[in-house]
Amino acid sequence: MVERSSFRLMLLILGVVFAFLYIPISVLIGLSFNEGGLPTAWTGFSFKWYGALLENDDILRAAGNTLVVAIFSTLLSTILGTLLAVGVEIRRRNGKWLETVIFAPMIIPDIVLAIALLSFFSLLGVRMGLHTIIVSHVVFNLAFVCAVVRARLKSFDWSIVEASADLGASTFTTLRRVVVPVLMPAIVAGALLAFTLSVDEFIIAFFTAGAGRSSITLPMQIYAMIRFGVTPEINALATIVMTVSVIALALSQRLNKGGLPGQ
Amino acid sequence: MSQSFLSIQNVQKSFGRVKAVSGVDLDIRENEFFALLGASGSGKTTLLRMLAGFEQLSGGDVLLEGRSIADQPPNRRPVNLMFQSYALFPHMSVARNIAYGLEMDKLPQAQIRARVDEILQVIQLDHLAKRKPDQLSGGQRQRVALARALVKRPKVLLLDEPLGALDKKLRSEMQLELKRLQAEFGITFVIVTHDQEEALVMADRIAIMKDGGLLQVGTPKEIYEAPQTRFAADFIGVMNFLPVVRDGDDFVAANGATIKATRLNDPVAKAAVAAIRPERLAVGDAGDNTLRGVISAIAYHGLDLLLHIKTDVTDTPVIARMTADVAEAEGPAAGQEITVSWSARDTHIFAA
Repeated sequence: MVERSSFRLMLLILGVVFAFLYIPISVLIGLSFNEGGLPTAWTGFSFKWYGALLENDDILRAAGNTLVVAIFSTLLSTILGTLLAVGVEIRRRNGKWLETVIFAPMIIPDIVLAIALLSFFSLLGVRMGLHTIIVSHVVFNLAFVCAVVRARLKSFDWSIVEASADLGASTFTTLRRVVVPVLMPAIVAGALLAFTLSVDEFIIAFFTAGAGRSSITLPMQIYAMIRFGVTPEINALATIVMTVSVIALALSQRLNKGGLPGQ
Repeated sequence: MSQSFLSIQNVQKSFGRVKAVSGVDLDIRENEFFALLGASGSGKTTLLRMLAGFEQLSGGDVLLEGRSIADQPPNRRPVNLMFQSYALFPHMSVARNIAYGLEMDKLPQAQIRARVDEILQVIQLDHLAKRKPDQLSGGQRQRVALARALVKRPKVLLLDEPLGALDKKLRSEMQLELKRLQAEFGITFVIVTHDQEEALVMADRIAIMKDGGLLQVGTPKEIYEAPQTRFAADFIGVMNFLPVVRDGDDFVAANGATIKATRLNDPVAKAAVAAIRPERLAVGDAGDNTLRGVISAIAYHGLDLLLHIKTDVTDTPVIARMTADVAEAEGPAAGQEITVSWSARDTHIFAA
């Protein structure tokens, strides 16, 4: 039994930590609706800065680039990551070292991965642009999708795969009609996670985007703008990015927990 | 009726150095209800999985109607397996689960629907066709799994511990239900079970497996009345074992009493065991062999009683079965002295 006074102390520490976490975010969201635009004075509620975003071509192009990168890297990493997870689970004998290799991109610092990918692309003489960002994002997203699907596979009843074969299905039919549908909640959860990670990824995109403004993504655009001070436009943009990420993450978690009834 | 409908010829299976099945020969007849009975690790499930095609044979062959199926993958064999875990597809309704195998055979939709409806009525689950497996009880899931395998009308239906997950009452109902369905569909059933009672009730013939080999194959009556090995005698039903020593044509128990026996199963030099079923012991001394003791406990089973009798021939109590009406007349009580006897015909002798 924890004493009353020490329990109060713990509550206090929790409160301070939460305050430190959420007050800046709340301020940012608040200021994005501040009509005057100055962080020092509240002059009234307005969607003005969101409107300004829509007229900023640089931001719109960066948002478009980010969507392209996120969608394609999510698609690729979801398909490859799911197949990888199923494959690793089937050939579990060599699983230990395979797992280490697969999950390395999750542990390797982003900056190291970014430099490595940059050197690799230069070495191959690849012209860099959105496509190199997509490939680079697949590298680390693959690990996350694989991890989420693998977690689901731990409780997967493999006898349904045998049952499918026993009832006359080929391996591909079994994959399409049994394995993928049963894993679908985890696959979608993995995809949403990958999408979120890709949308706000900065370091790797920054290193592998190549020269020029044509392949600048949203986080890079924000970074460029912020050098001239935090504008209310950036507050509005950050609020949108955060909302999208939070929704995707919440969906991902919910899907992964609930899943199919009775699983 | 063909004598070798499903012919298992010298089938072997090794996992690395471990021999799971070592040289099994079996001929299973058409329309037969055949049980593979054994404890866990006896190789019965491995043998079944080889028949289904999930395990490659390490040696030997399996012929179905004279043609080898040993190299056919599971999805091409005219054989279906009902899984111990049922292995129902969790994302499909009952009807979709059952239709799956027929869809794989590319039957026309109308025919699939008709056959699914038909079998749903047979298993009396037509009102639950749209439910998902997790909305069913254990007994209902079991019947869906059975229907899904049966609806393809396989030449052989393999059942891996089909009743293992059910409670006792439901299990005895389903034993008869399985027998009824087998007769109705005219399909050869091969069932794996560790439950000797289940095998006795359902099967036309039983094969007892131990350590990857066959110990004895026969009808339930043959297996029960004439076990050929001490293991089989012990594994099936209840059996009293008395240590004896050979003395010419007869045997001598530990207390010096002579035991006459006519069923000699093993060549016995000196030490042996005499085995007698509890229901062959009768109160009194009218039989060929007699034993005296004290009733140590009485187990009431409704229709009959099992008397546990402490004797001077063996450490474990000798068990005698007494029907309820006899018990009413005799009024046995714990602590009472009792004399039981039995016939030489009912005495099996095995090597010690």
